[in-house]
Amino acid sequence: MSGSVEAVLGADEDVGREPATPEIERGASLWRDAWHRLGKNKLALISLFVFIAIALFCVVGPFLSPWDSQQQDLMIGAQGPSATHWFGTDTLGRDLMVRVMEGGRISLMVGLIATLVALLIGVLYGATAGYLGGKTDAVMMRLVDILYALPFTIFVILLMVAFGRSLWLMFVAIGFVEWLSMARIVRSGVMALRKQEFIEAAVSLGYSHRRIILKHLIPNVLGPVIVVATLTVPAVMLLEAFLSFLGLGVQPPNASWGVLINEGQQNMEIFPWLLIFPAFFFALTLFSLNFLGDGLRDALDPKSARD
Amino acid sequence: MTDAAISERKETGESGPREDFLVLDSVSQHFDLGTGFFGRGSRGVIKAVDNVSLSIRQGEILGLVGESGCGKTTLSRTIMQIIRPTSGRIFLEGKELSSLSDREVRHERINFQMIFQDPYASLNPRMTVFDALAEAIRTRHPGVRGTALRERVVELLRLVGLSPAQMKKYPHEFSGGQRQRVAIARALAPEPKLIIADEPVSALDVSIQSQILNLLKKLRRDMGLTMIFISHDLSVVRYIADRIAVMYLGRIVELGDAETVVDDPLHIYTRALMSAIPQPDPRIERSRKRVILKGDPPSPLNPPTGCSFWPRSPIPHDERMKVVEPELVEFHPGHFAHDCPFCLQRAA
Repeated sequence: MSGSVEAVLGADEDVGREPATPEIERGASLWRDAWHRLGKNKLALISLFVFIAIALFCVVGPFLSPWDSQQQDLMIGAQGPSATHWFGTDTLGRDLMVRVMEGGRISLMVGLIATLVALLIGVLYGATAGYLGGKTDAVMMRLVDILYALPFTIFVILLMVAFGRSLWLMFVAIGFVEWLSMARIVRSGVMALRKQEFIEAAVSLGYSHRRIILKHLIPNVLGPVIVVATLTVPAVMLLEAFLSFLGLGVQPPNASWGVLINEGQQNMEIFPWLLIFPAFFFALTLFSLNFLGDGLRDALDPKSARD
Repeated sequence: MTDAAISERKETGESGPREDFLVLDSVSQHFDLGTGFFGRGSRGVIKAVDNVSLSIRQGEILGLVGESGCGKTTLSRTIMQIIRPTSGRIFLEGKELSSLSDREVRHERINFQMIFQDPYASLNPRMTVFDALAEAIRTRHPGVRGTALRERVVELLRLVGLSPAQMKKYPHEFSGGQRQRVAIARALAPEPKLIIADEPVSALDVSIQSQILNLLKKLRRDMGLTMIFISHDLSVVRYIADRIAVMYLGRIVELGDAETVVDDPLHIYTRALMSAIPQPDPRIERSRKRVILKGDPPSPLNPPTGCSFWPRSPIPHDERMKVVEPELVEFHPGHFAHDCPFCLQRAA
């Protein structure tokens, strides 16, 4: 019964279709090709899984752990790894595993959000400069050069003094530094594309500037942008760790991996696990993101991979 | 053959072909290289297109030839209003394009379209054939979607000889000839009246070239298109064009019916170009006399004064023609050439 209904519907569809039209062949988009190439890159694939695993560990982990990251137990103090506290406890008797998880949350959040901020400003700024060209471009890019020359630490210290310490300020501060290279890359990509005939074709077809930028320019510079974004995340996390290490970043009782590593290195000779665990997760994340970025570059631009 | 071509044109046009379908009136395209870094001294002006006047009949194919750097491509971009002319006026069916605002030009663009030289660069690599054609169709019919849109895409693909089954594919999955067919379909999608083809076959394999040329001829015949066909290859232009304009250093030096220009050229530059075409018959090839030009084309940044051809002409020019700029003069009905007595001389 149901089989005959399907047959009737199928026949209807055939009538609606162009009689002489054979089966439509599916095309392989460049994105699909790139994904396919990435799948063949073992190191990149493993890195992707490692990164996802670490992210899940940090995001879901605290809900599953019986310990609270703020709960102190001065009676036990710093203890090595054991069956109750897998990663041991810190000098205030707090469970280190939960601390590492929650520190990871903040580190990853800083990495992702600051990169997103950098991506948004950088792509728009760079695409505008590259598309408009001429004097506008010259002025916009000289501004980038000037900002590049500012010493980052002094800039952040000034921001902290002016606005007080907060996590959001750190997103802004780091994003504000990282968007510069993003803007340069997008601008050079757009400038190279603007000379291409398909952009001239889009102009001569009378498409609007918005359509040309969004549908013809940006999809074609997205490849290198994705690569740079992937490599920016670990760079941002390092910056955050550096700021936290200096005491300019995340403030107690919150912790990031940078804070934990800082605390760990102070007692490194007596309680080595306080340094080893956060440093291990931090290094693993940086490695996996860097390998993933390299893999993405090879996958999105197969020409450069052969060199 | 010429009569047949004209009567053919009469059949396609409803009220007879329009003589002044596209008119260029002293069109120039000069690029100012600007001043130095501290505003000291001008770096000069490139006269890529210099004072070109031309009138194109409805339904004809005008061949535009010249060596590389002579301004053919700049002229095509100027007619397309991709670069607005420095001076001069351009009319399409009596409407002045050169005076329209950018926004108004954008709405006019559905009437004139372009086919580009390199089919590997002229298609967006991130868009399927269907998306690219649909986007172009919507420039004239903004509301069309669904089955109607699909039918129109299928119709366009059939028109240029591609299988509709391939419409969901991306440009990199096609050969050069197929891509050029996609590019032609895209140019036809807004239903233009004028097509400018900028070296549409020079990036293609010779065996594919004739297919594309025949397709363009067929489209002209079936759809009554007017076409400007740009090429540096005279044998290709001779095959497809009704009239030929020869460009040198941003100016038109000779203009006339294709057969006359090819068989009985007036200007020595045209004769040099003609003599460069190899003949397939070895006996004729052996007796082929070549007009050899001296040196390279001069830089348009600092072009020679007077008859701009004098530094390269095998016939020496006198001092007057090195200063006085020759005019385009009609020597026979419909056959124009630069009026320089030395360039028009037959070499002994």
